[in-house]
Amino acid sequence: MDSPALIATADNIENTLSQPTPSQKIRVEVSELSLKRAGRVILNKLNLSLADTGITAVIGPSGAGKSSLLRCMNGLIKDWQGEIIVDGVASKHWPAGEDALRQHIGLIAQKPTVFPCSIADNVLFGIRGKKRRHDNSQLIESCLKQAALWDEVSDRLNHDAQTLSIGQQQRLCIARALAVKPAVILLDEPTASLDPRSKNKIEASLHGLAKTMPVVVVTHDLDQVRRLGGQAFFMCDGTLIEQGDSETLLNTPQRIETREFFQWSVCDCPSDADK
Amino acid sequence: MLLRSWITFSVIFSLALVLIFVGFLVSASLPFFLDYGLSPIVSSEWYPYEDLYGFLPALVGSAWAIVIALAIALPCGLAAAIVSVEILPQRYHGLINLCIDILAGIPSVVYGLLGIALLLPWLKNNLDLLSGHSLLAAGLLLAVMILPTITRLSQDALRDVDNSYREAASSLGLDWSQRLFSVLLPQAWPGIRSASLLATGRGLGETIAVMLVVGSIDRIPEPWYNLLAPAQTITSRIGREMGEASVGSSQWSALMACGLVLTLCVMLLSILAHAPRKRLARG
Amino acid sequence: MANRFTQALLIALALPAIAVPLACLLYLLMRGLPGFDSNLFSLNLGESGFGSSQGIMAQVIGSLALSILSCLLALPLAIGLSLYSRLYAGPRSNSVMQHVLTTFQSIPPLVYGLCGLVVFVHLLGWGISLAAGAIVLAMIILPVLTLNTIHALERVPSDYTDAARALGMSPSRVVWHVWRPRAWRSLLTGLFLAVARTLSETAPILFTATVFSGASWPNSLFAPVTSLQTHIFYLAQEAVDENAVARAWSSALVLVTLVAMFSLIAHLLNRRRSHHG
Repeated sequence: MDSPALIATADNIENTLSQPTPSQKIRVEVSELSLKRAGRVILNKLNLSLADTGITAVIGPSGAGKSSLLRCMNGLIKDWQGEIIVDGVASKHWPAGEDALRQHIGLIAQKPTVFPCSIADNVLFGIRGKKRRHDNSQLIESCLKQAALWDEVSDRLNHDAQTLSIGQQQRLCIARALAVKPAVILLDEPTASLDPRSKNKIEASLHGLAKTMPVVVVTHDLDQVRRLGGQAFFMCDGTLIEQGDSETLLNTPQRIETREFFQWSVCDCPSDADK
Repeated sequence: MLLRSWITFSVIFSLALVLIFVGFLVSASLPFFLDYGLSPIVSSEWYPYEDLYGFLPALVGSAWAIVIALAIALPCGLAAAIVSVEILPQRYHGLINLCIDILAGIPSVVYGLLGIALLLPWLKNNLDLLSGHSLLAAGLLLAVMILPTITRLSQDALRDVDNSYREAASSLGLDWSQRLFSVLLPQAWPGIRSASLLATGRGLGETIAVMLVVGSIDRIPEPWYNLLAPAQTITSRIGREMGEASVGSSQWSALMACGLVLTLCVMLLSILAHAPRKRLARG
Repeated sequence: MANRFTQALLIALALPAIAVPLACLLYLLMRGLPGFDSNLFSLNLGESGFGSSQGIMAQVIGSLALSILSCLLALPLAIGLSLYSRLYAGPRSNSVMQHVLTTFQSIPPLVYGLCGLVVFVHLLGWGISLAAGAIVLAMIILPVLTLNTIHALERVPSDYTDAARALGMSPSRVVWHVWRPRAWRSLLTGLFLAVARTLSETAPILFTATVFSGASWPNSLFAPVTSLQTHIFYLAQEAVDENAVARAWSSALVLVTLVAMFSLIAHLLNRRRSHHG
């Protein structure tokens, strides 16, 4: 049981605190974010920043406030304190309104929710008004390709979307979020209940997306964090307690909470120990 | 053992009630259909003293009254449901529900009294009518009476829309009215549809209030869109004449036949209202 | 902007749903309250004024007798039917039962009245009587009451039932010791709602149970009664007689109060249950 989580040597400490390299522009800056629900503190003075591109994995025990963090950033939760600055503008005073903010920051839920209409209509669901009347077939194709779903559904775009498998539905949700041209993509445990094949496809799609925009993935799966690469945040009790390059964070956690969490997770999935 | 015999008794007794109900309704109206065939349904003269029994005036009257009622109650009731579920915060829900409960709890005969005291004089003065008794009055009164049915069932339909649909639509940046028209209403549509069908059935069967304001004159509106003249509905005819008809006469069985036609219409509406929802729930 | 407009439009459309009931209630109080005098609740059967100056105590008693009797008739049947559905019926007969009940629930009360007129008043020769009216009303609320009781029993967690059956309890013991304590409150709620419902029905008792004048105390099951509902109906048509109209309004207020009282009891019972649950 030579768990990597327990090997923390002095050499690695500096690496774990690595920040986004200065050359990259910061797209989203969250400072002192707090949220209370029914007297309970959900988020407690949380600070984080997202760079121009790349994947950020958010890990932590259940109830750490990971989902709430994403929902605050996206604007589904409105009564938070603190400040979230997106592309230099405070999100509370987003010029085009809160609906436009949610378009700007796409959020994909854990359980895929497809609307009872065709696959093509689902992709275009967020597009309303004049744009809807144009020929959108190119947009549908590019979004479905980015979500790694095009090959499976290209011949039946007019079929009912609810006949797709859960894994396909989840990718359809990603395509749907991409169709409204978001600047940031947030995913809340996108692969939690999916089979390995769908997981791989979604991860491939995320790698592609991360080249052009910041992608935040909440996950429980440490293997996935390793596969996704990029940076990783560890959340506990509503605050961010450790961050850094994902490989470094996984191999040499500094905080006792992080180590404990990794230890239990390692016991859950033995394959992790082989690495 | 006691339990078992009690259950057996109630099942057999209820079955007997159902059979008695259907059997006697059919057997009491059968002589009429045997004597006159089905032609009275489309003929327009109803003079019991000359043995003329045309259902058409009452059928047209019932249809007009329910169309007026739905035209008013459907938009109002649906809007009330949307306002109470989607717009107003939780603490006002009690008030809306109280108002709907009051509306549903007022007995039919009190609505009739209110109609006579408020609606008829108002129509009489504003539209320059002889008495105010008219299809319009019946329709307006029915609209108020079916409003609670429509509102309550539409509220249920809207509440049943899964919250994940609301959230998925708002994460895509759809604004409030886009969410309403592209997600909530289509999802709640089966429920709203059966709400209106059930309300239609209720309105068709409503008797006392309609009887008091419709005027009870067997005439097809002349011209056909003249809603300001006194007329007759199926229920008001039965209510007016049942007390006078002698048992076993042809008028008696003609009235029973009216009741049978009404029952068949309402049963059909109820079956239409309930059937598709079941299928949806299974799927 | 479009949102504000849509919301304002919807609120404007919904206003009648709030304004109309309040206006109706206020108007009813305004017209009904002045008629409340010491004479109103007397049993005085003076012949003058054709019912317009008498007290309405006989009508109140007649209405209550009709609706309570009908509920007492319907309740055991409803409980028996719902126990059948929960204990013995398979999924197929359950769904048939559900369909029959919802269909019969939608049949207009007037038609039940017609049927009662044929069967009880004429065929069985009971004449216009309390018994005929009560049975007709019982038939009207039987489907509602049964569906309500089935729902009440369905809400008892199936774990409890399974655990009790696993202990070897007989069906009747399960019903008494497991279902009764959990379901009686919803059952009573349904019963009080049914009383309120029967109190507001007029058409079905118009030719089966009631006469306009000449009846006072219902001294026999097979004697005609008078009821508030039909009393209002007859008085409402006497639009020229000021006294009659005033009496009609007072009677309407009393009727609405009675209905509200029973609904309120049902509501309170229901609320207590949801607090416990």
